[in-house]
Amino acid sequence: MNSPLIDSLGLRLGANGLPYEIPIHPNLVHLTLGLFIIAIFFDIAGSIFPIERPIFKFLGLPAIRAGFFDVGWYNLLGASIITFFTVGFGFFELLLANPPINQKSDWGLTASWTMLLHGLGGVVLLGMIVAMTVWRGLQRYHWRKNDSRQVQWGYLLVGLAMLGILYVHGTLGGQLGSEFGVHVTAAKLLQAGAK
Amino acid sequence: MVVHFVIAMVLFSFICDVLGYFTHNIRLFEVAFWNMFVAAIAIFVAIIFGQFEAGLAQVYPAVESTLNFHTVMGWSLGAIVAIITAWRFAIRDRNPLKVPPAYLGAATFLICLVFLQVYLGSKLFWVYGLHVEPVVEAMKHGVSP
Repeated sequence: MNSPLIDSLGLRLGANGLPYEIPIHPNLVHLTLGLFIIAIFFDIAGSIFPIERPIFKFLGLPAIRAGFFDVGWYNLLGASIITFFTVGFGFFELLLANPPINQKSDWGLTASWTMLLHGLGGVVLLGMIVAMTVWRGLQRYHWRKNDSRQVQWGYLLVGLAMLGILYVHGTLGGQLGSEFGVHVTAAKLLQAGAK
Repeated sequence: MVVHFVIAMVLFSFICDVLGYFTHNIRLFEVAFWNMFVAAIAIFVAIIFGQFEAGLAQVYPAVESTLNFHTVMGWSLGAIVAIITAWRFAIRDRNPLKVPPAYLGAATFLICLVFLQVYLGSKLFWVYGLHVEPVVEAMKHGVSP
């Protein structure tokens, strides 16, 4: 948003352009990514359990197949819940962003395009994570309730594809901070001093 | 990147243990154990990358104390997470259906330390702008924030 518009919100903004010292969205991102990625990996570990069983035996680490699927399910459920907050704070902080307009990122995008794609991507990804959770829940409690392998191979493939999308999406978000200096106090102070 | 796993897995392990303790859903104890297990592996990778990136950072005097604090906390947390994971492993080995309140207390303490460490790390990037291009560029031209 442009600065007169941001000013008219009447928020007490610090030098970083936010009403608090440190952006909240990037911290919630840790939770979304960590929980989602580990959920997929544990479902994969559960699915190929017969292959890896000797490894756990060798390590002296007791492992139960159903336990791996429990990790897959609960971590994904956690990711779904927390991602509503991640995207919510993301939008709040995106609206308050005031990046330099004459710069391009490593990917050749302007700040406005990076913000637009990262914002839209956030909504799409929230929808996809929730949809995956519903899909995972149906497999767990209905379709594959009595199967030793709780998840479909198709689900794991979509999960792996999601990791790729998350990587692209996360890099766009990272560029907003590290290349455009959005909400970085030191960068904002330098910008203000240069003017 | 790797810190995602340390932060998320330590927090989620704690939440699962607390929920499992109060709801008696024993599945959550298994989820808690594996999450802490992942965190224990990830934290050492995170420390190594952290050291590497700290070494490459353009450190100006105002940053030094926060960076040193973050470094000391990082290594300490590595040790603490390893101990907590070993303890969690022993608990699971003895009786996978129960978690003693003493462990939950220790895990609460760990969570507080993790929050402090996240705050320090965030400050290095979001306040002081370590590895942030406009700040790095300015320092090349002799300007210090």
